[in-house]
Amino acid sequence: MPQILTANRLLDGEVVYLAADGAWVETLDAAAVLATKAEGEVALATGAKAELNQEIVHAYLFDVVDAPVLKPVKQREIIRAAGPTVRTDLGKQARL
Amino acid sequence: MYRYDEFDQKVVDERVEQFRGQVARRLSGELTEDQFKPLRLMNGLYLQLHAYMLRVAIPYGTLSSRQLRMLGHIARKYDKGYAHFTTRQNLQYNWPKLADIPDILADLATVEMHAIQTSGNCIRNVTSDHFAGAAEGEVDDPRVWSEIIRQWSTFHPEFSFLPRKFKIAVTASAKDRAAIKVHDIGIVIRRDATATLAFDVYVGGGQGRTPFVGHLIGEGIAANDLLAYLEATMRVYNQYGRRDNLYKSRIKILVHQIGPDEMRRQVAAEFAEVKAQGALALPQAEIDRINAYFTAPAFETLTEDTSRAKQRQASNAFATWHDINVAPHKVPGYAIITVSLKPIGGVPGDASADQMDLIADLAERLSFDEVRVSHEQNLVLAHVKQSDLFALWQKLDAAGLGTANYGLITDIIACPGLDYCDLANARSINIAQAVSKRFADLDRQRNIGELKLKISGCINACGHHHVGHIGVLGVDKKGVEYYQITLGGSGDETASIGDIIGPAFAENEVADAVETLVDTYLNARQPGERFLDTYRRLGIQPFREKLYVAH
Repeated sequence: MPQILTANRLLDGEVVYLAADGAWVETLDAAAVLATKAEGEVALATGAKAELNQEIVHAYLFDVVDAPVLKPVKQREIIRAAGPTVRTDLGKQARL
Repeated sequence: MYRYDEFDQKVVDERVEQFRGQVARRLSGELTEDQFKPLRLMNGLYLQLHAYMLRVAIPYGTLSSRQLRMLGHIARKYDKGYAHFTTRQNLQYNWPKLADIPDILADLATVEMHAIQTSGNCIRNVTSDHFAGAAEGEVDDPRVWSEIIRQWSTFHPEFSFLPRKFKIAVTASAKDRAAIKVHDIGIVIRRDATATLAFDVYVGGGQGRTPFVGHLIGEGIAANDLLAYLEATMRVYNQYGRRDNLYKSRIKILVHQIGPDEMRRQVAAEFAEVKAQGALALPQAEIDRINAYFTAPAFETLTEDTSRAKQRQASNAFATWHDINVAPHKVPGYAIITVSLKPIGGVPGDASADQMDLIADLAERLSFDEVRVSHEQNLVLAHVKQSDLFALWQKLDAAGLGTANYGLITDIIACPGLDYCDLANARSINIAQAVSKRFADLDRQRNIGELKLKISGCINACGHHHVGHIGVLGVDKKGVEYYQITLGGSGDETASIGDIIGPAFAENEVADAVETLVDTYLNARQPGERFLDTYRRLGIQPFREKLYVAH
């Protein structure tokens, strides 16, 4: 199953994802979808480095489905990607 | 209220500056996350799903209007204009930035507040009866003893690295509003045959993964021995509590494994030693000193207010709110007001900065400058003149704070759940909202009567589901939220742990299931029976049959 690398940004705790160019981005759509286990391991190594550089905290991989639309498998990651379902005026969903 | 002396203030101010340095070192990379995490947790700072979360201590749930205004100010300046009152009588900010935390703590320190003892394996913020000092039939103000325990426990070197967190609750009423029997230590203050204060100490209660009702371990402990007895209990726990297994590390597991008799024996032996040393004997002068902070306000000599009859006739909504949210006060002419933070379809326990300001103003003008946070996630104005009730209600109602539902099925406890919490397996608030909307009709709620519905988003049970008359526990089944229902729990003086009724329900089935359970009760109840009474009389079977036939 394809995966995405995520973490929380050190400064403000914002949920971030690793993009293909190595940047940490705030939206799921801009994240790199990692198709293989090897790609996942490379991403985790990038994450570990970013933790040492005080950019992010606690990087980990989570499962996504990428068709028909990119979507996390688990509810936890769906909520992290959007914000509280009971306050749609807050979080990433409010900035769309 | 307790006021800081110069030492208290110095300790809190120094703590802020220590943490300022720790945050700076974290941001510069001198501290790794592994090194920083225990430091931030000691200052109430968690990292949750979307952001950091700061948990502010509200000792035994008592606030001055100045403090509540500061909590509102912080919500507005550093957060997103609101905050969440918790089942530990604390307050949580959901969106603070790491770099702002030292300034937030500095602001809190200006009003004698902090975030110490809100996390970690220490003795946590002590909780108490939210009607303390106002309730009829109370034998003493339990906050005096909560404060004495707080002073003993804060930074106690022997108990700064316990096997696990440790929660103490205190009540001085026969009617337990502080859920003392589901705390690591719960204390009931009573008066003995000679009218002397006596302390009954319940040990080994708790919720979480393995819920237990506490056992009476210390009976009739004398006031000047209270700290020695608590110290002895903590020492037994500190020595024998399991540090090798996170799930078996609470004192409730120790008491369960060795049994209450052996626990009683061990604590008694330790108590004799602590007493022999004498250092923890509480001098009467010290008790008097703390007592002085909690002297009853200058109540006027009043008679029962009669103007309310006319106001009740003029406004049905006021009359209803009065019936439900106003409790009798020990002093004639006064009343205790519960300000519901459970609007129909709202988020239980959330309050906006504007609402906090309004309640602070009302408390300052009409309730001797004091506000209480209840573990049921409401606010309380404990000393309001009956003749002020109508004007007070009008102000509250205009600000969305006039919901009449104290103790009813829509007065739901819910933890933040998977909408915010990193530990959660499922959402809680959405379930609270669905049930609240389903039972919005007030006549229906009143017909159902007292029904405590409590929802947790994981087995840690911050939403107290184990002691809900109806409890709901969110579970994760392969990434999808399901909800397990328990019946017959209670957090009062008749404490009991709820029984699991059967297989879990999908999110959209929970409100239907609750409705089926309520209807089963309504059809089976005898005159005067609450849901809990009917359940205790009939057992789970009739409820189970209806629920799983219907679904």
